[in-house]
Order: sequence, then C-alpha cells, then structure tokens
Amino acid sequence: LPTPPARLPYVPHLPPMALLGKVTATTFALETPLCVFDGHADASDAVWLAVAFANASATFRNPRSRADVPPYRRLPTARSYMTLETAAAAYSCSAPSPPVLRVGADTACRDQGRQDPCNGPLPSPGPYRVKFLLMGCRGPKAETRWSEPILLRRAVSPGSIDPAPTRHGSDVVVIASILASLGAVLATAVLGALGAKVWGSLCHQDLGTDAFTRRSYRTHHIPPALPQPLPPGCGCSPPGLCRSA
Amino acid sequence: MAKSDDCVHILQGLLVFGNVVIGMCGIALTAECIYFVSNPHGLYPLLKVTESNGIYTAAWIGIFVGLALFALSILGIIGVIKASRTLLLVYIILMLITFAFEMASCITAAAHQDSLTPSLFLKQMLERYQNSDPANNTDNEVTKTWDELMLQNHCCGVLGPSDWQEYTSAFRRTHKDADYPWPRKCCVLDAQGLPVNLDGCKLGVPGYYNSNGCYDAISGPVNTHAWGVAWFGFAILCWTFCVLLGTMFYWSGIEY
Repeated sequence: LPTPPARLPYVPHLPPMALLGKVTATTFALETPLCVFDGHADASDAVWLAVAFANASATFRNPRSRADVPPYRRLPTARSYMTLETAAAAYSCSAPSPPVLRVGADTACRDQGRQDPCNGPLPSPGPYRVKFLLMGCRGPKAETRWSEPILLRRAVSPGSIDPAPTRHGSDVVVIASILASLGAVLATAVLGALGAKVWGSLCHQDLGTDAFTRRSYRTHHIPPALPQPLPPGCGCSPPGLCRSA
Repeated sequence: MAKSDDCVHILQGLLVFGNVVIGMCGIALTAECIYFVSNPHGLYPLLKVTESNGIYTAAWIGIFVGLALFALSILGIIGVIKASRTLLLVYIILMLITFAFEMASCITAAAHQDSLTPSLFLKQMLERYQNSDPANNTDNEVTKTWDELMLQNHCCGVLGPSDWQEYTSAFRRTHKDADYPWPRKCCVLDAQGLPVNLDGCKLGVPGYYNSNGCYDAISGPVNTHAWGVAWFGFAILCWTFCVLLGTMFYWSGIEY
C-alpha cells in the first residue's frame, strides 16, 4: 500500500492584495503556494490544484497516478477536477514565480477538448474549495488543506437598474415658478395697458395730463382794447375843456 | 416742464441701455447654443438614445431665440428713440412671444439635466455597448462613442470596471468573462493600442487598467452646457422682464 500523502498545514486562499479581478463570474485567483512544498518535493514532482464543489470536497479521493487525474471536462459529473499542473521547482522559495495563480484563465482548452490539464473557466458560481496536491511518480506525496469555500460573482440583469433620478430637482421648480410668474405679470400688464387705452378711446376721456412728448401749444392771443373815439355831443376841441353852450 | 423732460430722457436712456444689453445677451446665447449643438465632446450619441434629448432641443430653441432677441432689441431702440407707438407695440408683442419660447427652453434644459443620472448611462451602456446586431446603427454609434470616451479619458464603464462584473450585458454575450472581465479599452494601452500587460489588466492589478468610471467625463461637460442654457436664459428673461415693463410704461405715456 502506498504511504498516504503528508498533510501540510497550508490553506490555499485568495491573494491578500487589492485586485479587482480576484474573483470574477468564471475565474478566481489564488496566492502562489511558495515555499510550501520545500522538503517534500523532488525535482521530478508536479504540483496540481484540485478544485471541487464545496459540498463535494469531502468525497474527493486523491488520484493514484497521473493517469487517474480527473479532467476538467468531467467537472459537472464528477463534481471535481484537477488542473494547473506545475513543476514543484516553480513553487520553491527562490523561484521567480508570479505571486498569483489564476484559475479558469484558459478559454481555448475547453473548446478543443484536449487531454492536457485544462485550466478552463468554471461553469457555475460554485462555491468551490481547492487544495494543492504534490504528485510524484508513485502517486500523491503531499497535500495541503482544503480552502474556505470560494463563491464566484453572480451578475444581475441590467433590467433591474432604475434610471429615474433620485431627487426631482429643485432647480426646475424654481425656474418654472419664477418664469411663470414673470410671464403672468407681463401678460397682465400688456392686457391691462391695452385695455385701459381701448377703454379711454371709447369714452373719449382726456388722459394726457402728463404727456411725454411735447405738443405744440397754441395760445389764444387776446389783443388789448383800442381807445374808442368820444361821442360828438360834447364838442370840446381841446379834450377835457368843455364850455357849455 | 423741464423736469418731466429730464424724466422722459432718463427713461428713454434706460430703455435704450436695456435693449443694448438684451441684444448682446441674445448674441451670446446664440453663440453658446451653437457651440453646444456642435457636439464638442462627442457625447451626442449617448444623449440621443437616453431619450434625454431635451437639452439639445432647448439649445436649438436658444439659437433662434438669441437671434430674435438681437433683432428685437434693435427694433426696440429705434421705437424708443422715435417714440413711435406702433413700433413699440410690435416690439412688445414679439418680445412676449420670444419670452414664451425662451421660458420653454429654460425649463426643458433644467428638467432634462436632472435626469442624467449614472444609472441612466449604466443601463444604456450595458444594453448597447458592443451589441452585436449589425443592423442596429445607433448601437454602433454608442459603441464608438464609448470606445472614444474610454480611450481619451482613461476611464472604464460608468462607475468603474466592476460595472461589467456586476451586471450581464450585450458585451458579455459576445465576450467571455474569463478573457474579458471588462473591455480591452479599459486596459492601459501602449502606443500601438495594445494592452501593456494583458494578464495584469484581466486580474485588475493597479496600474494596468483604468479603475475610475467615465460618469464624470460625461456629466461634467453636459451639465455645464445645460446649466449655461438654462440659467443664462433665465437671467436674460429676468432682465427682459424689467425692460418690457419699462417699455410698456413708456408706451402708455406716448400720446398721438
């Protein structure tokens, strides 16, 4: 009987740094397990990632050899698969590996149905649990613990977006009310002025006490009275000296 | 007599001054509205499909109202100086009509400006961006406008790249989530238009993608213009109101 694989205390987890694409609808990222397998791995060993639905992780059985590795395309039926086969040397402490592994990044392999370990996109939001498995020539040599359940993003339909404005602006009310009142005042003023003029011309009233344009004034010229000649009955040749006859 | 002469001259002077200001403001309003209608920021396709076209309608009305104000102000100046009742009556009536049109324009601009919320643009973007139906011309225009917007302003989506993750979209129907968590235009691009680091962009590593949303780049110019049309028009109308009242008072005092 082969020896059971060593249980390492490492727990796979999402990268701690702020990455917007850490978890998307069909992929997720894991922190690279650097230094985890040092001391257990030989140069020829490979590290696999086992991905299983969270409720199927308890029933996952480690494959006895590379030929028994559950492939990606059987995920819906087997409820688990293994992928991301990497040389163990890539995860050693001194290796210049990228700090993050992306699960589900390869969209091409799903369509081609290759037999290679396919890192295809995950078909459903999960949740999933993962663990790393160190496989040697004679079977699994070491394994990490299962991760916490990883739930992928679920997108909602844009029909749920309500485009109506949250506050109906006070700007509109202010402008509309002020303009409406101005308009009403103007209309009233015009009607009032026109009405007053029509009324005045109908009643023949003189309205122009303070006329703005100057009219020409024709004054009525009253000449002073001329002196009248005296009546002939007096007969005084020098005026004022009368002799009675 | 001399005092009322002075009063008349003062009133005439004020009315001429008022009309000069109206004329100049009319020209300014026309210029502003022409600038807005000429689509300087390339945002017209986005506004057209949101059915929030009121701002453009208001701007078009503003162009003609501005020219009308200029012409009427000249008529008003001539009428005041010649103290002609007929001219001034024509002036008052035409000014009232122009007042009504400008009132409509202001209220329309103010009302539609309020409706330009982020949700409105978000919904439109998700439903139309990269909508693969080739016969639909407006959606192609929307796609081109968004691409230009994201490229020039180094922004992504309306509120951020997570818009593409939180909602399904027409884009998502043709572009797989694993390859395109968000459009390529959201990535930091080099001189040839290719992403500097594609994997970094897909993962959302800061520095390789544009993390801010485009809403500010859209709403900023549109709001400025809408405010210009609405509030400048409102100011012109308040001034016109005073000038019209003065003209009516002057008109009622002219005797034949």
